[in-house]
Amino acid sequence: MFDWLKPHDVLWLIPAAPLLACLWVVVVGHVVRRQYAHRPVILAIAFSAVLSYYLLLKVVPEYFGTPVAHDEHAQEHKSGDHAQADHKDGDHKAGDHKEGDHKKDSEQKVGDHKDGEHKDHDHKVAVAKAKPSTAISVNVFGETERDGKVTPVPWIRIGDPQGVPTLLVLPTLRADAMTALMLVMVTTVSLLVAIFASSYMKGDPGYPRFFAAISAFVFSMCMLVLAGNFVLMFVFWEAVGLCSYLLIGFWFKKPSAAAAAKKAFVVNRIGDLGFILGIFMVWQTFDGSIDFDTIFGDPSVIARVVTMQPEILTTICVLLFIGAVGKSAQFPLHVWLPDAMEGPTPVSALIHAATMVTAGVYLVARCTPFFVHAPTAQLIVSGIGATTALIAAITALTQYDLKRVLAYSTVSQLGYMFMALGAAAAGKEFATLAVTFAMFHMFTHAFFKAVLFLSAGSVMHSMGDVIDMRRFSGLRKALPITHITFLAGALALAGFPLLSGFWSKDEILAIIFEATKHPKHGEFFKVILGVALLTSLMTAFYTFRAYFMTFWGPEKFPEEAGHHPHDAPPAMAIPLLLLGIAALVVGGATGPTHLYGNYLAHTPGLPAAHHHEPNVPMMIISSVLAIAGISLAYLCYVASPGISRNLKSGMSWLHTCSQEGLKLDAIYLRWIVKPLRLVAQISEFIDRWVIDVIVDCVGFLPGLFGAALRPIHNGFVQSYAMVMLIGLVVCLVTALRVLAGM
Amino acid sequence: MPSLLVILIVLPAAAAAMLLLLDAKAPPVRARWAALLATLATFLVSLGVASQFLSINRSGIEGTSPVHAQMEQKYTWMTIVPETADVPPITLQFHLGLDGISLAMVLLTTLLTISAVLVSWTAISERSAEFYASLLILETGLIGVFCAFDLLLFYVFFEFTLIPLFFMVGIWGGPLRRYAAGKFFIYTLAGSVITLLGLIWLVVETYHIGIATHTPLATPFSIPAITELLAVHALPMETQVFLFLMIAAGFMVKVPLFPFHTWLPLAHVEAPTAGSVLLAGVLLKLGAYGFLRLCLPTVPGACLSVGMPLIGTLSVIGIVYGSFCALAQNDIKKLVAYSSVAHLGFCMLGLFALNTEGISGGVLQMVNHGLSTGALFCIVGMFYERYHTRQLSELGGLANRMPLLAVAMVFTSFASIGLPGLNGFVGEVLSLMGMFKRDPILAMIGATGVVLGAWYLLGVLQKAFFGPLQEPHHDSHDEPVADLNAREVMALLPLLTMCLWLGLFPQGLLDLIRPDVESIAKLYGDVHATKGTGAKNYSLKRPSDADESADAALPENVERKAPQANPNPNPNLLNPAAPEAPKSEVRP
Repeated sequence: MFDWLKPHDVLWLIPAAPLLACLWVVVVGHVVRRQYAHRPVILAIAFSAVLSYYLLLKVVPEYFGTPVAHDEHAQEHKSGDHAQADHKDGDHKAGDHKEGDHKKDSEQKVGDHKDGEHKDHDHKVAVAKAKPSTAISVNVFGETERDGKVTPVPWIRIGDPQGVPTLLVLPTLRADAMTALMLVMVTTVSLLVAIFASSYMKGDPGYPRFFAAISAFVFSMCMLVLAGNFVLMFVFWEAVGLCSYLLIGFWFKKPSAAAAAKKAFVVNRIGDLGFILGIFMVWQTFDGSIDFDTIFGDPSVIARVVTMQPEILTTICVLLFIGAVGKSAQFPLHVWLPDAMEGPTPVSALIHAATMVTAGVYLVARCTPFFVHAPTAQLIVSGIGATTALIAAITALTQYDLKRVLAYSTVSQLGYMFMALGAAAAGKEFATLAVTFAMFHMFTHAFFKAVLFLSAGSVMHSMGDVIDMRRFSGLRKALPITHITFLAGALALAGFPLLSGFWSKDEILAIIFEATKHPKHGEFFKVILGVALLTSLMTAFYTFRAYFMTFWGPEKFPEEAGHHPHDAPPAMAIPLLLLGIAALVVGGATGPTHLYGNYLAHTPGLPAAHHHEPNVPMMIISSVLAIAGISLAYLCYVASPGISRNLKSGMSWLHTCSQEGLKLDAIYLRWIVKPLRLVAQISEFIDRWVIDVIVDCVGFLPGLFGAALRPIHNGFVQSYAMVMLIGLVVCLVTALRVLAGM
Repeated sequence: MPSLLVILIVLPAAAAAMLLLLDAKAPPVRARWAALLATLATFLVSLGVASQFLSINRSGIEGTSPVHAQMEQKYTWMTIVPETADVPPITLQFHLGLDGISLAMVLLTTLLTISAVLVSWTAISERSAEFYASLLILETGLIGVFCAFDLLLFYVFFEFTLIPLFFMVGIWGGPLRRYAAGKFFIYTLAGSVITLLGLIWLVVETYHIGIATHTPLATPFSIPAITELLAVHALPMETQVFLFLMIAAGFMVKVPLFPFHTWLPLAHVEAPTAGSVLLAGVLLKLGAYGFLRLCLPTVPGACLSVGMPLIGTLSVIGIVYGSFCALAQNDIKKLVAYSSVAHLGFCMLGLFALNTEGISGGVLQMVNHGLSTGALFCIVGMFYERYHTRQLSELGGLANRMPLLAVAMVFTSFASIGLPGLNGFVGEVLSLMGMFKRDPILAMIGATGVVLGAWYLLGVLQKAFFGPLQEPHHDSHDEPVADLNAREVMALLPLLTMCLWLGLFPQGLLDLIRPDVESIAKLYGDVHATKGTGAKNYSLKRPSDADESADAALPENVERKAPQANPNPNPNLLNPAAPEAPKSEVRP
């Protein structure tokens, strides 16, 4: 049916659509029909979403649904065939590609940076040859030569045009199984959030600006996952940061929003610093290569580096992980994420669920071929993940701001994902499983966190922008739809049996459990497992604490809400319900059936996976923990609210500690920000009173020299006559003595 | 008819002379329109020069000499006939020319001068004819420096730029203008005098080498001739080190590098907006350009052994220290001035990486910093004109009042921070990459400047532009302060457009400067011999290539390249190889 649509066209169409929408809104929609600015954006994201699903079907067509090959031979054999087939296919595509050129030309000019210089655009379709890979890649700009060959036009190229460049950054888009899954998640959730926002943001003076930023955000995120090399990925990594800056600071009149936006960007920049240094190191280690296909496509490339410099990959991995720590809000750089709540709620949903924070997980997952050779780095990943999960969970226990509870739970769940990613330190055979489970948790998390945030947004909407849970309660009758959707999300997040979060969380627990059997790192992973289980209990508790505080108890509205709070209008309710359903079933549909795992396993570069049996005892333990947490919350906040009050007054120190996020913000302010500001003051002082004074002193010296001679030239004729006389006398005397001497 | 290059240099000066001689008492309106027309005309001429330059086929010139000029204009100034007969007469020349780097800088200069005239439109109301005349004379001087391929001429223009700027700061500046102008003048002049001595010594040494190797130089002040000779017969190491330090002295003050930078914030704060724009945008680049033109090709040994560690360290200190100083500022103009110190640190870090990536990055950084900091100074000038204050503590929430100005400021700040897609990124990354190859530690410390840069510039945005509106006392009490008018938009728009363009398509500029950068980098053994062309073989270069190409005799290199040459014409954007294009070299 869609034969005319080639996968490599899809690749650039997916990001091009939101970019086009963004440009349209900036140029036209900002002025004309401002209240309809959401339409092109929603249309474009919907277009991208449809194409993403199409891409999902196209990237791995032959394998789809089949179980992962248990023995490697079969897989290699099959993939070899596949690669050949693909190759032929690719040639074929390149052949019949020409027909569509003209039409594409016109679209592409608008879509891709409006580059008018090259008359004959074309794409270079390069299906990776050497390895059993199923990556599709396309270069956004290309020049067709007279003989029909296509040369990609580089973005940055350093080196002789005829020779080997020392640095070559091609605008390559590349898709494999992992990319396709990410794209589906990003575009689906973004679409629903955008629809929700079209109603939520109604009447805001910056309506078009909001939607322009949203589409730019989706564009950057799509490009981030589609990027075919490290530098391009970094470019959009930063672009995502910019969009988050614009969206968090959307209500820039609020000082807190302006501060939060700056904090988010600067803290992210610290992570980016690690990322870019990591890229430099990759570039140097792999002889100037930064392409994913070149580095990850062929295991021998990495193997050669490992034999020559065994330690270098650890350094690279740690540096790349610093980037992930920044973007995915891991300890110690997680402090920006809770503050990011200053943005409009749909932005929080977007940042927390589908975009931005998932980028870090994606980066580490993408670089799995590096990480498998760096067990030390993986231990760090796991350790940081566990620390983050625990800290964030403790903090979430006592927050009164509904959105902050959710924010900390995001941080905590991201910690879970990193715990899983690091579990491959226990052996290379775990690598693929670890990546699969982390990505799977990210996938399910995207849906239930989106529904939770949007429900919180719906609560805010009806409560007149009040989000403090102490000021409202018992909303389940007033807001029935929001109540149901929030409950669905909360159950999924808490890991209630058979719902989304349960499947993904259970798999993470299972892989960590497997890792505890490792002889060397077993002890380490036992601690991690303990943290994971404890966090799981706390997650269930704080999620349902928020739920009970908001929706149960006596009905109470703040005065800002007016008399009759209204539930979500249809444009908000439909996305909520869809996401709620997804939160319930998406895990069960793709997790236990191995649909997700098998699909992801086709990502080129991932080592062959072992078959993984569900770990039934772990499932039971995690179910028990989830139900225990929920019951505990019920006990404390519905059955006998006195308990929580007594606990709070009994352990007030612990309570404030938790409420202020272990005082990390204060500690950073006191021990990092303030000292740095002090350094700045000192530098300023030195500049003004030391360096500049030295300069002035040096400048003063010639003047001083002059001053020494100045008294002679005092301007009195008498003294000049006097000096002349003395001079004359001296001359005469000398002359006479000379003469006398003769 | 004289060539376009000569017209380009003479035109602003002629316009200035007309302003001063014919119409010294002109009303401001006439003076500023005359200046605007003159700068626009100069810009058009520079575009003409650029198109002439681009039609020259420059493929293969990498091998000829470390510095090679195109479109050369040589006019003999005087000839000295030595007493001994076996030595040819020494000729002093006006030697003008262009290469890719200088063309980029010339275009930057002519573009920025237009903005400088536009931002002075209402800010300068007294003695405006003289002001615009100084501005135009400054433009002549700046273009002259970039077009000079003769040491004496270079130095004359280099020093000449001080005079108009001295008057601009000293007459139309802020309250401390006399002190600032004097300090700026004397400080840079003192440095330059040492440079002059170094240059003379360099010429003498080169001349002697020429005689000793029986290849005497007829034009011992010609930069291409000197560098060509020194590329074959290097000076002894000790001489190189002394020469390097002497020549570097003036340029280090001019850049300015870390301990020699204190004149800069002062001059910026006191200078009128147009002066700041040109000072930051172009004048500072003279230092970096001087290093690139005179140090790197003449004393490679010293640059590698002394220059790299010394300048590298000073640049890194400059980056970090400059950023911290910027962080502590309350005056936005001073903050931008310190940010210049940090940005120029990136530039010098790139140049002294002494490899293709680094030098390309350094040159890009020169252009980028000119554009983004020029635009920043324009913006600062614009709200200074409205509120008569630049103190961060007195401003707040300007985005509510002036959305267009705020958009421009956000855009420019991100360009300056080095956001990918805008111009700053490519230059910074290439500079750091180059330095990472040479010395990873320096690059890592330097890279922290990226975080600090985001901190202080976003701090300005947060305090002055976001949050609730807080306006200081201003002149027009009755009506609110207006947003940007058409003139101000026109002053900013070209700069911002170029920021975006160079961020999205940096390759055009990279191709423009590539031959010149590579021929300098070749001195440092960085350009790798051509091997295995083919679409997918981009990636792997062997370390041994460096050794081969370091001392590779040039004809060999060309021969080796020939059979393997890629059948595809090179994919340059700006430099389409057109073999039928006329060679516009003029040799009178």
